[in-house]
Amino acid sequence: MQINVNHVKKHFGRTRAVDDISFSFSSGEIVGFVGPNGAGKTTTMRILATLDEPTSGDATIDGISIVEAPENARQLIGYVPDALPVHRDITVHDYLDFFARAYGLASTQRKQVVESIEGFTNLTGIREKTLYALSKGMKQRVSLARALVHDPPVLVMDEPAAGLDPRARVELRELLRILSGQGKAILISSHILTELSEICDGAVIIEQGKIVAYGNLEEIDGPGPEQCTVVIRSLNRQDELYKAMLIMPNVAAVNQLGDEIEAKITGSEDTCSELLEILIKSGYRIVDFKQRGSDLESVFMNLTKGVVQ
Amino acid sequence: MNFVTNILEKITDTLNPIVVKELRQAVKGRFFSVILMVFLGVMLLTMGLYLTSENIEVSFNAGRNIFGVLLSILLGTCLLFVPAYAGIRLGAERSDANVDLLYITTLRSRSIIWGKFLAALVLTVLLFSACLPFMTFTYLLRGVDLPSIFVLMAFIFIVAGVAVQCAIFLGCIPANRFFRVILGVGWLVAVAASIPTLSIMMYGLLTSGIGSQMGTWLFWRTALSVLVVGMALISVFGLFSTALISPLSSNRALPVRLFITGSWFLTGIGTTIWSIASNNLAPVAVWVAVYVLLYSIGLFVAVSEREHLGQRVRHSIPCRRWLRPFAFLFYSGAAAGVLWSSLMIVLTLLPIVILDQRFPHMWGGRFYDEFLVVMLVLPLHAFAYALGASIIRRWVFANRIAGGYTCVIAIILLNVATMIVPLILFFITGTWQKLWLIGSPIGTILAVQDTEYHLAHSSLDIAIIGALIVFAISIPWFFRQIRNFQPPKQDPVT
Repeated sequence: MQINVNHVKKHFGRTRAVDDISFSFSSGEIVGFVGPNGAGKTTTMRILATLDEPTSGDATIDGISIVEAPENARQLIGYVPDALPVHRDITVHDYLDFFARAYGLASTQRKQVVESIEGFTNLTGIREKTLYALSKGMKQRVSLARALVHDPPVLVMDEPAAGLDPRARVELRELLRILSGQGKAILISSHILTELSEICDGAVIIEQGKIVAYGNLEEIDGPGPEQCTVVIRSLNRQDELYKAMLIMPNVAAVNQLGDEIEAKITGSEDTCSELLEILIKSGYRIVDFKQRGSDLESVFMNLTKGVVQ
Repeated sequence: MNFVTNILEKITDTLNPIVVKELRQAVKGRFFSVILMVFLGVMLLTMGLYLTSENIEVSFNAGRNIFGVLLSILLGTCLLFVPAYAGIRLGAERSDANVDLLYITTLRSRSIIWGKFLAALVLTVLLFSACLPFMTFTYLLRGVDLPSIFVLMAFIFIVAGVAVQCAIFLGCIPANRFFRVILGVGWLVAVAASIPTLSIMMYGLLTSGIGSQMGTWLFWRTALSVLVVGMALISVFGLFSTALISPLSSNRALPVRLFITGSWFLTGIGTTIWSIASNNLAPVAVWVAVYVLLYSIGLFVAVSEREHLGQRVRHSIPCRRWLRPFAFLFYSGAAAGVLWSSLMIVLTLLPIVILDQRFPHMWGGRFYDEFLVVMLVLPLHAFAYALGASIIRRWVFANRIAGGYTCVIAIILLNVATMIVPLILFFITGTWQKLWLIGSPIGTILAVQDTEYHLAHSSLDIAIIGALIVFAISIPWFFRQIRNFQPPKQDPVT
């Protein structure tokens, strides 16, 4: 299944919230949707979820246009908004049961689906609690469960990790990995870029309504001089190591990060290997020498200016 | 047991999901449980007090008296609390993200509104069933018959239905919290004020022995009229509510305009036949007055609509050119709304002119002229102020004020002409003259009332000139929207 966003624009009066953006992703992919506040992420996601219509342009989900056939497109999308459910007088189970009914699931199927989703999102133990009484992490799970109730092949998630504690984040990440493994296409926005780096296959970086970069992280990092970043930790002579690194050939920059040293190396992996060999021969007891991949956070910082419309 | 559960499950499958959800929330929430308990407590207390204080054994009206009081309690509860519960819930849902969640399901706006309405009706039925034992007991105390009990309870049920749908409509109005509170308080005051009147009216019906009149045509004619009016109000509020909560990207005007046009046509035919049969122009005159007023208000609403159609609506515009002029009138859009209201006003005034010419003996004379002047002045002023507000919004405020507030500007303009200008002139000159109200429809009505026809005709002239000026200025505005009313030229997805 392919999701194509084609030249979508959304104007609110004179403000161009989304300005001619195009990207695509497909089944089994997790795509991070990244941008500063006010960049147009939520607007784009709402357009994809058929809640808003684009001023021009269109998006198709498996060939179904969100402009021409929003009712059909809705069947294929599970939308997790940034706002969490806060009803005082409805239990988790009744809430999910209601949405299952709203999507037209008949009684037998509905019961099975709701129970299995409660199990999958680990809500079985709290199914009789009212939504109001739940923690933020639990509400987020309910929100995800609601979006999954009609088994959509596409998930659009707006800031699902916002305000979650580390444990809940890890659990959410695991759930997303499982869902991606099941073949769901996932578009996820988050400000916690290190989290996204770990689970996303690709990213769309947006600023002032325009896409500034799109693709997998290596592609986004863009062509340029071959460069890699290594993190080194030595058991001895740490101060000396820092000074030694500064004068090493092919080392572009050095940073001291606690007991670790981060060095930017100009060259290929062979250069890194040679550097390690030199360090060991020089008597450093190296216990950690790891190459750091493209980092979404640094890519994001390099590409965006933080300008809000 | 499993069989019964399965059958019940199958039944709930056919129900609107909103009804199931609302009822579950009502049962699990505190508000309705408290209302029900208090209601039962008050009923029990009232019954107890009557039974201990009245001379039950010798009174032949004890049952009737207690029934009257119980009926008022039921009326108050059904008119105040159930509609307030439904309206406040919907209003609260509209102000947070929950409504978005409803929109991304396959539920339609219509299902949401009617689901809320049905759920509130079920709660009303619950209140009715809770008070039925008390009502039945009053029968044993003499002075009231069973048919009267059922007739009056049916009447309360219809009134409660209208109140619920009205509250849902108010809950749908897109406004900030302050305005919502004002609306809610206004609604509560209006309903609370109507309860004593309705109670007195029902007690009157009870003492007149309404139940014993069930064999007469008059009874059924009145009952049918109440039912039809009740259903019509419920439908109108339901349609308006549906239009209000429908996504902006849909053609929200279509069902409303179709319904109003349909009801206009049917009631027009009915009243015309009635007028001809009874040789009296009054039924048609009432019809004309009601619809001219409705369409005049419609002009104020229309100018607040959007001027540019979204992609989704444009995709539904007919491709056949000859169909588009008709379709244009039934599509959302400021120009379309103004043209539809104006056309309907002209069509509404036609029958009365034709009937007066064909059957001059029906009415004729001065009263006809007065009526026609008022019926012309009202929409012409509405047209002038509505389009005037649209021009001011576009030219003076350079579109900085959202289109949705155009009706507010129109109301301000109308108030300036009706109150501010006459008051300023009064303070300057120290005297009061009706001439100063010439720019307001109220001035025309007052002039006609005081038989100052030259003033009424001057007011009509002013209204015509004003309407012509704003129309002339707005011609490009109309043309722009008519020209843009066409389906997208090519599929944006390539």
